[in-house]
Amino acid sequence: MAFSASSSSSAVICRTQTDLPINLRSRSRSLLSPKLNRVGATFCRPIVCKMAATAVEKELDPAAAAAAPLQRPDSFGRFGKYGGKYVPETLMHALTELEAAFKLLATDDEFQKELDGILKDYVGRETPLYFAERLTEHYKRPDGKGPHIYLKREDLNHTGAHKINNAVAQALLAKRLGKKRIIAETGAGQHGVATATVCARFGLECIIYMGAQDMERQALNVFRMRLLGAEVRAVHSGTATLKDATSEAIRDWVTNVESTHYILGSVAGPHPYPMMVREFHAVIGKETRKQALEKWGGTPDVLVACVGGGSNAMGLFHEFVDDKDVRLIGVEAAGFGLDSGKHAATLTKGEVGVLHGAMSYLLQDEDGQIVEPHSISAGLDYPGVGPEHSFLKDIGRAEYYSITDDEALEAFKRLSKLEGIIPALETSHALAYLEKLCPTLADGTKVVLNCSGRGDKDVHTAIKYLKL
Amino acid sequence: MVNQMEEASLFSTGKFGRFGGIFVPETLVTCLNKLADEFNLVLHDSHFQAELAVALRDYVGRETPLYFAQRLTNHYKNCNGQGPEIYLKREDLNHGGAHKINNAIAQAMLAKRMGRKRVVAATGAGQHGVATAAACAKLDLDCTIVMGDVDMERQSSNVLMMKLFGAQITSVQGTFKDATSEAIRKWVEDLDISYYLAGTAVGPHPCPTIVRQFQSIIGKETRKQAMEKWGGKPDVVVACVGSGSNALGIFHEFIGDEDVRLIGVEAAGAGIDSGKHSATMAKGVIGVYHGAMSYLLQDDEGQIIGPHSIGVGLEYPGVSPELCFLKDIGRAEFYTVTDEEALDAYGLVCRVEGICPALEASHALAYLGKLCEGLPNGTKVVVNCSGGGNKDAKTVLNYQLEKQIASHTCTSH
Repeated sequence: MAFSASSSSSAVICRTQTDLPINLRSRSRSLLSPKLNRVGATFCRPIVCKMAATAVEKELDPAAAAAAPLQRPDSFGRFGKYGGKYVPETLMHALTELEAAFKLLATDDEFQKELDGILKDYVGRETPLYFAERLTEHYKRPDGKGPHIYLKREDLNHTGAHKINNAVAQALLAKRLGKKRIIAETGAGQHGVATATVCARFGLECIIYMGAQDMERQALNVFRMRLLGAEVRAVHSGTATLKDATSEAIRDWVTNVESTHYILGSVAGPHPYPMMVREFHAVIGKETRKQALEKWGGTPDVLVACVGGGSNAMGLFHEFVDDKDVRLIGVEAAGFGLDSGKHAATLTKGEVGVLHGAMSYLLQDEDGQIVEPHSISAGLDYPGVGPEHSFLKDIGRAEYYSITDDEALEAFKRLSKLEGIIPALETSHALAYLEKLCPTLADGTKVVLNCSGRGDKDVHTAIKYLKL
Repeated sequence: MVNQMEEASLFSTGKFGRFGGIFVPETLVTCLNKLADEFNLVLHDSHFQAELAVALRDYVGRETPLYFAQRLTNHYKNCNGQGPEIYLKREDLNHGGAHKINNAIAQAMLAKRMGRKRVVAATGAGQHGVATAAACAKLDLDCTIVMGDVDMERQSSNVLMMKLFGAQITSVQGTFKDATSEAIRKWVEDLDISYYLAGTAVGPHPCPTIVRQFQSIIGKETRKQAMEKWGGKPDVVVACVGSGSNALGIFHEFIGDEDVRLIGVEAAGAGIDSGKHSATMAKGVIGVYHGAMSYLLQDDEGQIIGPHSIGVGLEYPGVSPELCFLKDIGRAEFYTVTDEEALDAYGLVCRVEGICPALEASHALAYLGKLCEGLPNGTKVVVNCSGGGNKDAKTVLNYQLEKQIASHTCTSH
C-alpha cells in the first residue's frame, strides 16, 4: 500500500475560542448561515464544530489519551488546534470531494497498484538507506565512539528530490477525479518542475504560478517547466515570491474548481492537503522502517530532516510518530541568524495564525502581516509551516532547531567531500545539525537523516560563498 | 566465434578480431598486465563482488528501472494504432545522473584494493570526471581529473562539482582526446601510486574489457526485468555511441542472443557530410589511437579529426574496439543522428514522458523516429536512457533562442 487514510473519529471534541490567544478570537460563525472571511488572512476564524445529530461529546481521560495513538488529523482536519479549513465557501465542496476521493482510493487496490508501479518504474523507488561510513567516522569521538549515520536517499528520485512522490500521486488522483487541468505554485521551481514533470507524464494541462522575482532568479527552472509543456504565469503582487504565488494559485482554484486540481507542494494548506501530502510522502518512512530492520534488526533511534513547509520531514517521521523511543528532529532555516530578522525559523520565532487555509505557526509582525522569510535555500524559504509540525512541537513529540546559511554551506561542502554526494542546500540544514547532535549521542546510536534532495542545482549558489 | 573472442580478450592480448590490443610503450605493458591480473581476481572474489553490490545498491541507487514509456509508445503508433512497445532503461536515475558511476565506483574500489593512493582520469563532457571524483571522495582516494580547456569552459558546472568532491583539476589545451593523452602521461609518471581510471571502453587492454564488464550490470538487469515484465527478451536494444561504454553495457548481455537486434546510434553533428560530426563507425578508417586499434576519424595523413556533437559526451574520434568488431561481424548495426534530430528528441521525450534525457541519450531516442515505422506491432524495444538531461537545459535553451532569432531574421527580409 502506498498510503493509508487516517481514521476519523465518530466522537467530536469541540474546542471553543477560549483556547486561542486573545488577539485571534473573533465573531462566532453560525452553522446555519456561514459567512466568508478573507483567504490568507492572518487573523483567526473561529474553529467550527459541526455536530451530527447523533454525535456525543466525549473527553478521553488523560491516561487513555496518553496511551492512544495520536489523532492526526481529526475528522475536521485539525492536529490539536492546528490545521483546519480556513477557505472561502467555493472551495469547501472541492476539499470535501478531494478528501472523499482520497479516502476511497486508500482502499482501492487498482489505484495502489498503479501508484506503486509508477513510484517504482518512473520515480525509481525504493530509495536506498545508505550507511555514510566517512560521515560516521567524522563524528567519532577521540575514544572511537559515536553514532552511526544513515542517509535516506531521496536525492536519487526522478527530478532529484522527494517532491515527486506527492506530485505523482496527486496527478493520479486528479485523473481519477476526471480533472484535466492542474495548477501549482512554486518558489525556486523545484515543486513546479516536479508538477510539470508529472503533468507531462499523464498528459494533463499544467499551469504553474511563480513570483516574478523568483522567475528572474530561476530562469533555467522556468525554461525547464516550459520544456515539459507547462505554462508558467508570473505573479507580480506583494513581494512577487512564493507566498504570493500560493495566494494566486488559490484564487485560480476558486475560479476554476470544477475543472482544476491544485497540486499543493507541501503539508500546508487547508485539510485534506496536510494529511494527503503526508500520506503520499509516508512511503519514505515506511521504506526506512523495513530497511532499518534489514540492516540492523531494529528501528532508527533518531530521525533528522530539514523543515520548510515540512513535507519531507513528515514523510520520514509519520511512520514513527507512535514509536515513542524514536526521536524526531526537524531543522529549520536560521538564515542570517535568528536575531537578524532574516530567517525562516517559523517554529522557533513564529506565532500562531492562519495562512493559506490552515492554522499553524507563522512568521508575522505585530499587525499580523507576513514577514518575508530568508534562507540561502529557496525550498525552506516559507513563512509558514505544516500544521502537523506545529502540533508535534507543542505536544513535545518532535524537537525543532535551526541552522544558519553559513552552517548549511559548510555541511554542503562536508558531505560532498566525505561521501561524494552533493546534498541540496535544504538538506544541508539537516546535515549541519549533526555537528551539534552527534557529540551528545551514545555510541552506536542509529541516526537516519532524510537526504531530501540533490544539490547540483545549488552548486553555483554555493560556490559564490565557499572558497574552493 | 563471439565467445572465443571474449575469452581471448579477457586473458591475453585483448583483441576483438583485429581490433583492440595493447599498443603502448614498454613502460606501461607490465602495469597493464598487473591490472588485468588484479581485475581477473576481483571478478571471482565473492567478497569484492558483495561489497560492490552494496555500493551499487546503496550508493548508486541500483537497480535502475526498466520503464514502459506509454506516451512515447503511443507517439510512434501508426494510423492503425500499431507499433512497437518502447521501454527506457533508466540509467539517468543513477547517482550522478548517468551510467558512468557504475564503472567509476567499481574501478575506484579496485584501485583501493590494489593499494593505489591516487586516481587519474580524463574527462570530456565531465560526466566521467564527476563520477570518478565522487567515487574517490567516498573511498578517500586522491583524485586528479584532466580536462581540455575548451571543455572546461563549456562544462563549468561539472568542474565545480569535481572541485566540491575534492578533486584536483588539471587543464590541457584542447578537448577529451588531448586530456586522455595527458592523463596517461600523468599515470606513467607514478605507476606505483597512481591508478588510471578509464571512463569508457577504449584504450589499451584490459581497459575496454574492464569498463565493459563493470557496465554490463545494465544488460544483466535488463534481461531479468524483461523476463519479469513480459516473460521474454528485448527484440531490439538501442543505445547512443560515443566511445561505447553505455552501449556495450546494455549490449553485452545479449551478444549471444542472435534474435536480439543491437543498434548503436552515433552523432552526425552538423550532418554526416559536413565534416563536423563524431560518426566514427560511419566515416572512420582503421587506425591505432590511445593504445588500441579501432575505427578512427582521421584524415589522409593519419591526423586525428576533431569530432563534433551537441552531445559533448559523444565527441570522441575513436570508438570501442569491441563495438568495431561487432560491426564487422554484422552482430550490431550502427546509424547516425544529427544535432537537430537529437535536440528535437530531447524536447519530445520531455513533453510526453516528463523525462529530460541527456543530449547523448537523445541520439538513441531520436533514432526511434526512423526505427519504429519498420517494426511489427508489439516489438519490444529497449532504449538505454544513459543519462539525465538537466545538465543540457541551457544548451537546449540557447539552441531554441537561436532558432527563434534566425526565423525572425528570415521573416524580416
